[in-house]
Amino acid sequence: MTMTRRDLLTKIAIGSVSAVAAGCVTGSALTGVVHAEEPLKVLPEAVGMLYDATRCVGCKTCVIACAEANNLKPDTSADGLHQAPTDLNAFTKNIIKLYKPASGEGFSYVKQQCMHCVDPACVAGCSFHALTKNPKNGVVSWTSDKCSGCRYCQIVCPYHVPRFQWEGFNPLIVKCEMCKERLADGKEPACTTVCPTRAVIYGRRADLLAEAKTRIKETPGKYYLDKIFGEEDGGGTQVLYLSHVSFDLLGFPSLGKESVPEKFLKWQKRAYSYMAVPVLLYAGMVTVIRRNWAGHEEHMEHEEKRTGLRSQL
Amino acid sequence: MKNRWQRSVPIHGVPVFTKPFYALGAITLSCVVLCIYRVVFGLGPASGMNDAYSWGIWKTFNVMVLTGLGSGGFAIGVAAWVFNKKSFHTVMRMALLTSFLSYASGMTLLAIDVGRPWNLYWMLFPWKWNGHSPLLEVMVCMSFYAMVPLLMENIPPVLERAYYTHPEKRALIAKAESIMKRFYPYVIGTAYVLPMMHQSSLGALMLLAGDRVYPLWQTPFLPLMYVWVAGYMGFAAVAGTLLLCCLVWKRSIDLKVLVDMCRVEAWLLGSWVVFRLTDIILRDAAGLMFRADRFAFLFWLEMTLAAVGFGLLLRAIKTRQPGDLFFANLITASAGMLYRFSPSSFAFIARPGAIYFPSAIEIIISLGFVSAAIMGYLYAVKTFAILPASNEEWTAMTTDPQFKSFARPEVSAASMAAAHD
Repeated sequence: MTMTRRDLLTKIAIGSVSAVAAGCVTGSALTGVVHAEEPLKVLPEAVGMLYDATRCVGCKTCVIACAEANNLKPDTSADGLHQAPTDLNAFTKNIIKLYKPASGEGFSYVKQQCMHCVDPACVAGCSFHALTKNPKNGVVSWTSDKCSGCRYCQIVCPYHVPRFQWEGFNPLIVKCEMCKERLADGKEPACTTVCPTRAVIYGRRADLLAEAKTRIKETPGKYYLDKIFGEEDGGGTQVLYLSHVSFDLLGFPSLGKESVPEKFLKWQKRAYSYMAVPVLLYAGMVTVIRRNWAGHEEHMEHEEKRTGLRSQL
Repeated sequence: MKNRWQRSVPIHGVPVFTKPFYALGAITLSCVVLCIYRVVFGLGPASGMNDAYSWGIWKTFNVMVLTGLGSGGFAIGVAAWVFNKKSFHTVMRMALLTSFLSYASGMTLLAIDVGRPWNLYWMLFPWKWNGHSPLLEVMVCMSFYAMVPLLMENIPPVLERAYYTHPEKRALIAKAESIMKRFYPYVIGTAYVLPMMHQSSLGALMLLAGDRVYPLWQTPFLPLMYVWVAGYMGFAAVAGTLLLCCLVWKRSIDLKVLVDMCRVEAWLLGSWVVFRLTDIILRDAAGLMFRADRFAFLFWLEMTLAAVGFGLLLRAIKTRQPGDLFFANLITASAGMLYRFSPSSFAFIARPGAIYFPSAIEIIISLGFVSAAIMGYLYAVKTFAILPASNEEWTAMTTDPQFKSFARPEVSAASMAAAHD
């Protein structure tokens, strides 16, 4: 989106008005910014990934490809030689983990990266829109110039995904952005491009959902509860999962159908809708305070006359 | 001296620069040095925070807990000005000072805690805000409250001192005071709406963490509970600190005011506990109270503190003993502190196996910011008329050479007698 000079001036004008309003009436600058909204729905052009745990062989090629495509330095902290990160971290946006019970039976690999939620908690909580959801393809991405480094996204993400660079004076938030630069060039994300078994594939979310449903239909009993994780979990995600073992065991949380912002911020949003409640509260309080103020002032003047000591506020 | 609080009087006859003051200064100084280390080398080397527990004590204690304790200016102000509890006016200056210091200290530490503080300037551009974000609400609303209404509420003692120390400028100062008085009701109106907003948003912060906050704490009423707690924490912090100051500096103690404060606290605390338990039962989370785990332990610790605090408050109201009053307020404040601390720390569910314990540097920085606030308090109460005392104390203060400009030779013997009556 390009911004013309006129747009900029209009924005500055609107901004100044709201800034003045903020000074006069408490927080009324929020008017028009804060109002109740419908929870986000799946975007028609939403893209995503489908990971099928039954097809993954755990080769971790996607982990390397991801680091390469995103210019992340190889994480060799495990043995000082191999690029074998043990978890998502400041230099790892994508990881393959192994779930293996003590018996060894029914093991599974699992790929972990940002789920690109339909209604993401991180985007809802981010103060200055450093984390945004692309209005077209629904990819959740991060910009450094808006981020204050408060790490609230780490607190609210139900999947424990965003990572923070704890070292250094200029830390960044690190999370999968679905290789947004590659998407812009008409390419697929790095991980889906290199996967030798096509365990993870890229596409429109609607197509991936249809594909997942076909797989479940064609191989009855293969997939755990015939469930597609992300279809509606936590309001739905754009990265979808199929697995032969329970999703709990693979480290997924059990979320309801409602998204976190929808479930937990509903009343908060209503209370601040058009700033009506705070403004009314303010008006009511000032009315009462002014009445009490008159009485107090009278009393203070009387005391000052009686004692000769200057009244105090 | 009569045991009555009639006006605010500076602490006199005690130097500002005492040994404890220097000790606090040393902690603050080491904190400043360590803050530089934190800025240069990053949060990782300076703190125990990690990707699982990405909020440490700087946020969970210095902001979540200490701004709760610093809600006195808001809670007592609402009681005094909105509910017209006239006896509370004498403790307002002290409440406002502690509020300002705790907010200022917390907000400054927040700038050290965030990883990219230079981007905080977006706060100045409302059209760049994410209006839905509870964190935005907390950041904008808290800084605005601390820097505008709360700061303005703290100006009268400064003007008053200037009035006495600069006799040649009295006309100008009196003019400034009368302008201030004209706008005061509108200013304090914002000083009560804003804390309601951001103290509740501190709760809403944890709301968005969803199921990651243990169900004994996570509730849609979290914002309401947070303001409620701030109410009795604010009262308790002011009452407790006042008692301590009166004992240390041998000032008169107005039991009537303190008992009145304890009554309000008892109501707030009692109703809060009932509300908290009802909420847990209605959410079908009551079973979790009786599990043998750390969450249940934490819950019962908090409930015990609240129950003991409530009992002690009732006893103190009856006995009217300063010692009883002090412990009642201490325990009540602790109950609130634990509640405000838990959802973002003990009751926060991080990745399995992850642990967080604050590093030594982190603790010293946290204490350093508290020390700086205490130093500000010690300086202010010995310089400005903050702490409440009797009119007699005021007369005694004016005989002190340090405060001789505060004397009013024109006051007649008759009105002096009336003042000391």
